[in-house]
Amino acid sequence: MVMAEQLISGQVIEACRQGDRAAFQLLFETYKDKVFSIAVYSSGGDRAVADDVTQQIFLKLFTAIRQFRGDSEFTTWLYRLVVNACLDEHRRRRRWLPLPETMAMKNPSERKPQEKQYARREVSEAVQAAIGELKPKFRLPILLKYIEGLSYEEIATVMNCSKGTVASRLNRGHSQLAKRLAHLNNPAAWGE
Amino acid sequence: MFSRHVTKDISAYCHGELSSEASKQFAEHIISCVKCRSRFEEIKLGIKLAERLPQLSAPDHLWSGLEPLLANPQITQSERVTIRGWSWQLKAAAVVLLLVSSLVALSVYKKRFNPPSFKSGEPYWQVTRLDGTPMIGKEAISNNGQLAVGEWLETDGKSKAQIAVSSIGNVDIDENTRVRLLETHDTEHRLELARGKMSARIWAPPRLFFVDTPSAVAADLGCAYTLEVDDHGASKLQVTSGWVALELKDRESMVPAGASCETRPVVGPGTPYFNDSSTEFRAELSKVDFDPDAAARSAALKVMLDDARPKDTLTLWHLLTRVDGNDRARVFEKMATLSPPPAGVTREGVLQLNQTMLEAWRDDLKLTWMGVGKGVPKPIAEAYWRAKNGLSRRLKEMAPK
Repeated sequence: MVMAEQLISGQVIEACRQGDRAAFQLLFETYKDKVFSIAVYSSGGDRAVADDVTQQIFLKLFTAIRQFRGDSEFTTWLYRLVVNACLDEHRRRRRWLPLPETMAMKNPSERKPQEKQYARREVSEAVQAAIGELKPKFRLPILLKYIEGLSYEEIATVMNCSKGTVASRLNRGHSQLAKRLAHLNNPAAWGE
Repeated sequence: MFSRHVTKDISAYCHGELSSEASKQFAEHIISCVKCRSRFEEIKLGIKLAERLPQLSAPDHLWSGLEPLLANPQITQSERVTIRGWSWQLKAAAVVLLLVSSLVALSVYKKRFNPPSFKSGEPYWQVTRLDGTPMIGKEAISNNGQLAVGEWLETDGKSKAQIAVSSIGNVDIDENTRVRLLETHDTEHRLELARGKMSARIWAPPRLFFVDTPSAVAADLGCAYTLEVDDHGASKLQVTSGWVALELKDRESMVPAGASCETRPVVGPGTPYFNDSSTEFRAELSKVDFDPDAAARSAALKVMLDDARPKDTLTLWHLLTRVDGNDRARVFEKMATLSPPPAGVTREGVLQLNQTMLEAWRDDLKLTWMGVGKGVPKPIAEAYWRAKNGLSRRLKEMAPK
């Protein structure tokens, strides 16, 4: 896990458990972007939903932190909350957003040089949309890997499954991404 | 090299999550298995795409929306036990942490993924002048230069240069050569050789380094090779260590150490041959590969077959899928004479291009291509061949740290 997160010491967590609002804010500032990113990608890019999910996660974190006894790593505990909240949200919604029209890729050969700088952003947006269309069991390991930078072992702990299952789900997730975005397998599409 | 399929391990291999031994077996297998290589390319694209997933910034209003919710009786009651003086320290720490976390995340990212350096926002490779005045774009380089994605490196009749291919190898650029950096990132490094000659030494996992030429793509599966492109777009590959695949659409030639292969625009890669094959054999092979006249091709094949040695089954095996009808039957008969097919591989199956049988026969023939007698146990033969070609060192270098 990233070193900055390791600076969240036991003392800060203890202060949170005691209800210290400044400690809460420190915790929030440290993890908000990562939690929010996962929430956005899990909600098919709906930022309003992601706002709600992120707030719910932190509210739950702050109210449940008294029960955190330090048996596991704090980050593992946090990411479990995140994964559960995203799965709950998925169950509530039970629908996925279609690929927005604005994300449809232009034929790379039609690109003018000045458009190339936008191509990378377009690729990034297409990937975000494709991630939103994956099943949660394939999407969440990808988000934990690429957004949180967790190892297979850490993802397995967070998702309460074996390392082999993580490897297999990542494999299938990567494969589905490649199939959905096969048209991007072209340097011109990447603005290169 | 001939072990079970490794498709389930592809992501773990790319992420350095396999043990050193498993990683080695993976790399060995993928060199020879078309099925796993195809899947490897697909997963690699998936990884490349997933790496484009940015971390987003949470909007500022999130905290202001949360704060009132924190003001419930339970929490405010707890505030009484807050350690005096902690609040301002924590607030200051929050600001510091935000700055530190950005810097640390950046340095961790760099350490972990070893991404290429950037020049004006584009990744680049370091270029060293070896002789004369090589040019990057319109600028001459004195001793060192930077070749960014999209830029051309060109040498004249008196100049030479060396490119450091990210952290995975070196490419020497000979005189009168023109190359362009097309792509460089964790899962793929790609160079275009428009004309001239280059020599590559790559110590990365297979299929990480590619060279596009006007008539084929060279995919690195091994250690070292030389690639030359003439003014008409035809090219010649000579492999000195390991394996290289030459590809164009569905046509692929696997070229081992000690062998060469020629390519032509539109046709793509010709058939690989060992450098010590006879001059006549090579001349007739050139006709079989590139002569537009079918009768001339068939006649050349007959001469070639008369001249073929056991080692030349490398060439004959590739020809099985490239000739048809009676010619394919003649190739089979000659191969069966030189090295009978292993159990389970039938004449009928081979003539119908049964992929499993073709691969089984190829795996059996590799011992011959390695220059090892068939009586030698396979593990010993493979170890000998790896040692001979420096593959052991390369596999050790490519193992995840």
